[in-house]
Amino acid sequence: MSFTIIAETNGDSLHPTTYQLISAASNVGAKSIVICPNGEAASEASKIEGVEKVISVVGDCFDIFDGSAWSAALNSVCEGKILISASPNGREIGARIAAKRNIPIIQDIVSMSEGITVTRPIYSGKAIETLTISGDAVITLRPNAFEAAALGNEAPINIVNQSADIKIAIQEAINKASERLDVTEADIIISGGRGMGSIDNFSHLEKIADIVGAAVGASRAVVDEWGMPHRMQVGQTGKTVTPSLYIAVGISGAIQHLAGMRSSKYILAINKDPDAPIFGVADYGIVSTWEEAIPALESALSELKS
Amino acid sequence: MKLVRLVKLKHKKTFERHRGENMNIAVLLKQVPDTTAKITISAGKVDESLVSKWSMSPYDEYALESGLQMKEASGGVLIAITCGPERAKKMLTDAAAVGADTLVHISDEGVKDSTHVQKLLAAAVKKFGADIVLCGKQAADTNGGSTGPGVAEILEVACVTLVSEVNYEDGKITTIRPSSMGTEKVSLNGMGVFAFDKGSSELRRPNVRGIMMAKKKVIESITSGDLGVELGISNITLDSQTPPPAKAAGQKFEGAEHVPTVVSKLRNEANVI
Amino acid sequence: MRIMAYEALDFYDVDSLLSDEERMVRDMVRDWVDEEVIPNIEKACRDGVFPDEWRVALGEMGVLGAPLKGYGCPGLSYTAYGVICRELERGDSGLRSFASVQGSLAMYPIWDFGSEEQKNHYLPKMASGEWIGCFGLTEPDYGSNPGDMITKAEDKGDHYLLNGAKMWITNGTIAEIAVVWAKLDGVIRGFIVEKNDPGFSAPEMKGKHSLKASVTSELVFQDCKIPKDRMLPDVKGLRGPFSCLNNARFGISWGALGSAQACFDSAKDYALSRIQFNHPIASYQLVQNKLAWMLREITKGQLLAYHLALKKDSGTWIPEHISLAKMNNVDIALEIARVARDIHGANGILDEYPIMRHMANLESVKTYEGTHDIHNLIIGRHITGIQAFTREV
Repeated sequence: MSFTIIAETNGDSLHPTTYQLISAASNVGAKSIVICPNGEAASEASKIEGVEKVISVVGDCFDIFDGSAWSAALNSVCEGKILISASPNGREIGARIAAKRNIPIIQDIVSMSEGITVTRPIYSGKAIETLTISGDAVITLRPNAFEAAALGNEAPINIVNQSADIKIAIQEAINKASERLDVTEADIIISGGRGMGSIDNFSHLEKIADIVGAAVGASRAVVDEWGMPHRMQVGQTGKTVTPSLYIAVGISGAIQHLAGMRSSKYILAINKDPDAPIFGVADYGIVSTWEEAIPALESALSELKS
Repeated sequence: MKLVRLVKLKHKKTFERHRGENMNIAVLLKQVPDTTAKITISAGKVDESLVSKWSMSPYDEYALESGLQMKEASGGVLIAITCGPERAKKMLTDAAAVGADTLVHISDEGVKDSTHVQKLLAAAVKKFGADIVLCGKQAADTNGGSTGPGVAEILEVACVTLVSEVNYEDGKITTIRPSSMGTEKVSLNGMGVFAFDKGSSELRRPNVRGIMMAKKKVIESITSGDLGVELGISNITLDSQTPPPAKAAGQKFEGAEHVPTVVSKLRNEANVI
Repeated sequence: MRIMAYEALDFYDVDSLLSDEERMVRDMVRDWVDEEVIPNIEKACRDGVFPDEWRVALGEMGVLGAPLKGYGCPGLSYTAYGVICRELERGDSGLRSFASVQGSLAMYPIWDFGSEEQKNHYLPKMASGEWIGCFGLTEPDYGSNPGDMITKAEDKGDHYLLNGAKMWITNGTIAEIAVVWAKLDGVIRGFIVEKNDPGFSAPEMKGKHSLKASVTSELVFQDCKIPKDRMLPDVKGLRGPFSCLNNARFGISWGALGSAQACFDSAKDYALSRIQFNHPIASYQLVQNKLAWMLREITKGQLLAYHLALKKDSGTWIPEHISLAKMNNVDIALEIARVARDIHGANGILDEYPIMRHMANLESVKTYEGTHDIHNLIIGRHITGIQAFTREV
């Protein structure tokens, strides 16, 4: 059996998620027919193990991102079960293709097994849903929840011309200086406490925040004693936050601070004191000074993001 | 001693007046367990009766606020539409308390998957004659994001997602959405569906007058039959709903040399970066 | 988007008896308190100020003078009024005091005893929060015994002349108007004094350890001249002020529960988080006993308050019903605050936690609007038919 894979690109090359879609299909015994919008990265796609063939769809309907034009153009070469990355564009294209084909769509799955049975988190991860799909459907896959397929193949590439009406127009680009997120909005927060030594050292935390798109928070001690803005304070008298990842640097983990962040999905604590209470709630703890750990964290995260 | 203060309108207007416009603004709303409510599983399913608080899905609140600003600027009519069980009617009354004019409740009987919901919503949008459709970018229960684009596809119109504001300029609807460089302004010829992300507008609060008027507002209750929509079967079956896997015990590492290991665990084990 | 919704203890589901309108009003006030009051109350308390934004917000929400009908007033049920007080006091008793004084003590007497001109002139602007009101009954030497007050009004032909002083007056310094009770020819009458009336001043009382986020003042009348049309025509004697107090006390019987619920919520959360001897203190029997006692008293208080609201709304109440609920609910709220402080250990003395602020506030709430002991005697008189307030039987 074959699944249709809609490729996602990163400039001229494939986004790693495309490799994950292909391996997810292989895992349930399906070959992949990879559709490359705008013909991008078609030859790279043809080299991935598990790919049966590549369809390069070209046309000026891909000039800008208009979900209705892209889905109309790609739909013509889709069939059966269609896998797309659960990126913002992928979710939109997937939903339109599903509606067009009158088939259901399941968004953001984290596992797929024979059946086809899939699981996905619901209620922001408070529960997991297991579903069986017995016919055609569009399925979007959460990025990095699946292994990547390897290279080592040579699949044929067909080129197809498609046109579709573009229903929107770009009026102007507004290049905003990106404002750093507020702690209550961010999915990742990096917070500093007294262990950071001084307010100036927070610039290192800000660098990391910029790499992963995080917000910067602070413990009450740092807000009271060093004058950090109160809106950054996480804790009993500051904000209560529920990010996917909370990185606590130089924070001991007093009960007042925990009250503000202990509902975070994952907690990474960096503290030079191995007995600091924060390690009691941390999923991952690194016993180290911030001077050693933060530069290492910065370079590891930069590498990951590139 | 106190100076007399005028009561000020606090919300920043994100919709500009276009003289003579009278839009029918459809806002698609979903009632979900409050994002802070505890979710209890029993017998392989989420026990809805134990959900302590039901709320309007957070991104839908931004769509509603934008719709209300649009109505204030253009003098139009705001039609709040939901597809859900009986309890969802209370959410429509809450929408009326902040200014929704027409309240439409579509019964979810027979609904088995996202295509069914989209068909019903699209049919209601057509029935009530909308000039523009607003919704949240994704619902807080499924975090899916299919409704806006799916409804747009059925209506054969454009959809723009992750928008923060919607305006009306020179006969076109314009909106702001993210781009690789920041944001971009996009315009549409004709009708469209706009799926909202969190915007900069402050969400307005109801007041007692709004609450008392909302109490009197009739909710139009319709079914798939009334809309002429045949739902049929679905090829998706829900097998179970289970609690998330128990988190592994905390892992502690001595020394900064373990940072790369931890970072790869954050990606591959925890899946958070 | 709201982060952590407050879940009020409601063990017997008393809130399920609320009407849809009452529930929506509750949620409106609760959300506002979560977003605007809780994050700012400790600073307001430390600085000793009542933030003006709160006056504006209460006016915008339309909750001032909740149970009054007409003249731009909300016209809600007494149950809704109670719910509003409870939600406000979960934030702070000083905040609820502002609303109680505005609605029950300043707007109500004008609404019930004022002329049409007075109602039309004052009530709409008070309902919108544009004009703040206060209530001048208590004097430095006359608290539990208001009947012997010495502030007096003299009829001077084309005006009244007021002389005397009132004390412990919430909102006094920031109010546009004061409803003042004074003796005209030995009979207690109500007078509306405006802040610019000559001979009137309202200095703030400083140095309070309680209700710090509330303005408490003296009202001083030194040959204060007010026009003739400022007397409330339709009431004489203590019936006037006592009618006002009954309404305020009703609100307080609900309000105190809000304070108790806030203390319970914090104590429960703290007990589950605080680890000593390797276990959360919530696992120890003495702590559970305290939490169970709190739940018991809050639940009883809720039923008392709710049933009282039904009687108020159906007109089948007597003042003693209100005395019982005010006395009981404030008394248990204060005890709950004290026990909650105990559960919080040393942390409980910091303003990181709301506990001692509530505890200190409730000392005032137990004293004003009729002290605990006075309400006890009101009920004692009801039971026996014999008044025991004074030495003369």
